[in-house]
Order: sequence, then C-alpha cells, then structure tokens
Amino acid sequence: MSVTSPATSAPVASSRFQGRGALLGAGLVILALLPLLTGASPYMLGLLISALILSGLALSWALLGNLGGMVSFGHAAFFGVGSYASALLAAKLGVPVLLAIPLGGVVATLSSIAMLPALRLSGPYFALAILAYAQIFRILATELDWLTGGAAGLQRYPGLPTLFGIDLADRAGSYVVVLACVVLFAVVYVLLRKSHVGTALRAIAESEDATRVVGVNATLLKSWMLFLSAFIAGVFGALNAHIIGFLEPDYAFSGVWSVMPIIAAVFGGYRSVLGPIFGAVVIYLFDQVIAKSLIPVGHQILLGIVLAIMVLLAPNGLAGLVRRFFTKGQFNKTSEKSHAGA
Amino acid sequence: MLETRNLTSGYGAITVLWDVNLTFREGALTAIVGPNGAGKTTLLRTLTGLLPYQGEILMGGQPLKGKTWDLAAQGLVMVPEGRLVFRDMTVEENLCLGAYPERCRADLATNIERMYAFFPRLKERRHQLAGSLSGGEAQMVAMGRGLMAKPRILLIDEPSLGLAPVIVNEVFDIIRKLKEEGTTIVLIEQNTRIALSVADDLHLMRSGKVILSEKAAGIDLDRLHDLYFAREGVKEEAAQ
Repeated sequence: MSVTSPATSAPVASSRFQGRGALLGAGLVILALLPLLTGASPYMLGLLISALILSGLALSWALLGNLGGMVSFGHAAFFGVGSYASALLAAKLGVPVLLAIPLGGVVATLSSIAMLPALRLSGPYFALAILAYAQIFRILATELDWLTGGAAGLQRYPGLPTLFGIDLADRAGSYVVVLACVVLFAVVYVLLRKSHVGTALRAIAESEDATRVVGVNATLLKSWMLFLSAFIAGVFGALNAHIIGFLEPDYAFSGVWSVMPIIAAVFGGYRSVLGPIFGAVVIYLFDQVIAKSLIPVGHQILLGIVLAIMVLLAPNGLAGLVRRFFTKGQFNKTSEKSHAGA
Repeated sequence: MLETRNLTSGYGAITVLWDVNLTFREGALTAIVGPNGAGKTTLLRTLTGLLPYQGEILMGGQPLKGKTWDLAAQGLVMVPEGRLVFRDMTVEENLCLGAYPERCRADLATNIERMYAFFPRLKERRHQLAGSLSGGEAQMVAMGRGLMAKPRILLIDEPSLGLAPVIVNEVFDIIRKLKEEGTTIVLIEQNTRIALSVADDLHLMRSGKVILSEKAAGIDLDRLHDLYFAREGVKEEAAQ
C-alpha cells in the first residue's frame, strides 16, 4: 500500500467525491434497466419489485445505523404499521392510495414515538428494546380485529391506481413507483449525510458525549433519525401492501422484515448509500432464484453462509469491493480504514 | 467568569465532589491539579452539564441553565479527556463539527483557516481520518474542535494524557498561545510542574475536595507535591 503525500491528498479527496456521485448515478441507472437486463418476464419483475421493497427497508435500516449509531432489530414494526395504516386508510376512509402511502409512513413515524424512551439505551440494549417493541404491534394487529380483521387478515382494499393513463398496479408500473421511492429516499439520505447535521450524526455514532460538549443536541437528532427511518420503512410497507393486496399480522410484522434488511445492508455495505440498495437486490434474488431451487425448505441457511463469507472476505460489503476495484492504484488516505483488514 | 458554590456531585449514589467552591477568572488560565480519583474530571463533567449536581454554578453571575449542548452553544466548551476525536471522520470534518452551534456556522471557512494557521500540522492532514493520527495530533484536533465552537471558556481535560514528553511540551506551547490570545481556560492536569508553568491560578484537589487555591506565581512546587501526595512534612525527592 502506498500512501499519497499530503500535498496530493486534497485533489484525490475531491475526485473521490465526484466519483461517488457518478457511482450513485450509475447505480440508479442500473436499477432502472434491471428489468430489461433480466428479460422483463412478469415473474422476474415480481421478484425485482419485492427486492426493491427490501432495498428501501435496508436503506432505512442503514440510515438509522450510520446517522446516529442505532442498531435496530425491529424494523418489522414500522414496516407493518405502515402497511396496515395505508391499507386501512384507503379501505375504510377512502383515502386515495397515492396519499395513503405517505400517510402510512406518517403513522409509522407516530408509532416510533413510543420508541423514544429506548434512545436512552445504546448498542445492544437499544437493539433488544426495539426487538421487543416490534412484537407489541404484531399483537395489536392481531387483537384489534374490529379494525384490522385480526389474524384472518385484510384483503379488500384498493391497489395502486392508474395515473396519466399508466396502470401503476401492473408489474412494470409498480416497479417504477417503488424505484422512484428508493431513488427519492437515497437522495434524501445523501443530502442529509452531507449536511452539518449529517456530520454531527455520524459523530454521534462514535461518541455521544464528545458531540454534546461541542453543542450537538444528540438526543434530539437521534429522535429525528428514528422518525425518518420509521417513515421510510412505513412507506415501503405501504407500497408492499398495495402491491400484493393482502395483509395478515404474521406476514406484515414478520421477523423477516427486521432480519432481511440487516442481512441486505451488511452484505451490500451498510456504511454506503448504494450498498444496502444493491445488497437487497442481490441477496433477495439469490435467495429466491438460487437458494430456493437448491434447498426448497430452509433456504435461508444459504443466506447465512453467504453473509458470513462476505463479512470475512469484504467487511465493507459489495460497496467496499466496488470501491476497492475503482480506487486500485490510486489508494488514498481517507479510505485507509475501509481497506484495513479487507 | 465561572464560579461554583457548594458544588456537590457524583455518579448515582456515589458522591465524588464535596462542597466545591471555585472561581475561574475571565482571561485567566486556571489549572486544577490532583492525583487520580481526586474528582477533577467529575468537576469538568459537572460544569458541562453531563452530571447532575447540587449547589450552584454561575457563569457571568447568572446560574447556568440548560443541557450540555445548550451550555456549549453559550460558550462553555470542553475538550474531553482521552481526546475523543471522531476516528472515522477526517480532521476537517472533526473541526467542522466544533462549529455546530448556530452562531459559529456563518464564518466557518475563515474559522477553519484560523485553526490551520494555529495548527499547521492539521492543515497537512486535513483529509486524513482522525483515527490515523498520532496522540499529539489527535490532541490538537480535539483542541481545534473546541476552539471552533468559539468558547467563552474552554475546559481542557488532561491534555498530556498518554503523550510523549516532547509532545506534551508542544501541546502546552499551544495552550500558552491560546492564553496569550485571551482565551479563558480551565485546565485539568496531573503533571503539576507543567500545569504550574502555564497557570495563573492553581487549585489542588484531593478526594473530591479543594485543598489549596492560590495564585500560581506564589506556589512552591515542593510544598505542592507534599500536599498532592498527602505527605506531612516529608521532603520530596523525585518530582519529575
């Protein structure tokens, strides 16, 4: 490993930043073209839609981890609340679906207010508290059967509408809607991370006290991130609900929605923005197409193996691998840490 | 400038500070020395609102109000023990973070240049991750970060901790320069000799109490060490 001299480190850093922007753009274009690349069969499109739903959820999980340092084992709660809220608003109050979806995110945000006391906890304690919290909402969804239909589930609610003559409910339309949401939140994430608040939040993940003594209201900022993460998870829960057209508590609040985003984000590289998005696509397709055909029951075991290999060989995930590929030969100091041990 | 009256604080059921009365003069460098467990760091953590307390803390005659971040925004800024730089962030990001309070953000760029003039070494390393710095450089980042917050009073906790003697001298040259620029500084130190060399006022703490408060100019190092080590009348042989 060669180390660039201090004099050259500045231009390297700025070109690295431009490179990052280009990479983000390229990544999103690839996502847009993915249906064509994979043959655009309805089956494949269906898989890709589910993969992108997971991308959004993984993005929301990684945002909470990176900006504020909170590890969540309970994103299923936000996902489930978002899906139920949106479906019920559309079915019972006749709210237009495209409005109900963001409102689903809002209700998920409201539900995260109950999580605020857990912000006093850190690390594994926070993770455990939020894990328990996720169960509360599954039980509520099962018990409040006058509202949610209970364990029997919810089926009669509207799907995505037709907008400007484009049927968003068909697979291609749904793909575009979900992709647009992923892109929107990825951009929000990037802008937030670049702002001074983003810098403070990254610092909070390292040492909360050290940020407080320079004037950062760490508790408030962490609350905002919890709200934002819950909102994003809720929106993707709502999208999923309107696309699949069927909800039951054991599905909407399934632990899968807590675990899969973690696997996807860690596999893709949770420190980056694109990592969780692509990690979700790769992991989901691998699971559904390859793993399922090899081991029909218990195929998730292969996910565990793949994740373990990834963590051992490339701790920074897919994003780390890509970065290493592009920065080969022009090693720069600022990424020293991400290379160490890789 | 800053004053404590019958300040008592600690961690939960354990009281560490007992009735501490201290005055920190504006524009002066006040050193607080004392052995391990004397309550020096606890005092700083209490002053910056990280610990609950009984008694009074007055800044400019007014009782301190607010949480740690409010106090920092009002100009009570701490450079924490062990430096606590943000290792995964660059030197420049660390410095920028110091300017988080709203009143510091407008002239961020000029303020950063001022820091680089002050710490030329940091300018060379501006895009380097803070985690890859040496101890002395990290201490400079921590102090620079504190200065970026435009402190009315800067609390520095054991800047010499874990540094080679020659680097300690370098760090204290900087502290001396800060003092000459008129920054009000409260300095916690175990190295009494070097603390005495920069201080205007000196307080000695032991077991959570202040046992000596004097002008630094009049203090005899031998007597200070006798009090420091709680030796009555024993002549000391190996003060370093």
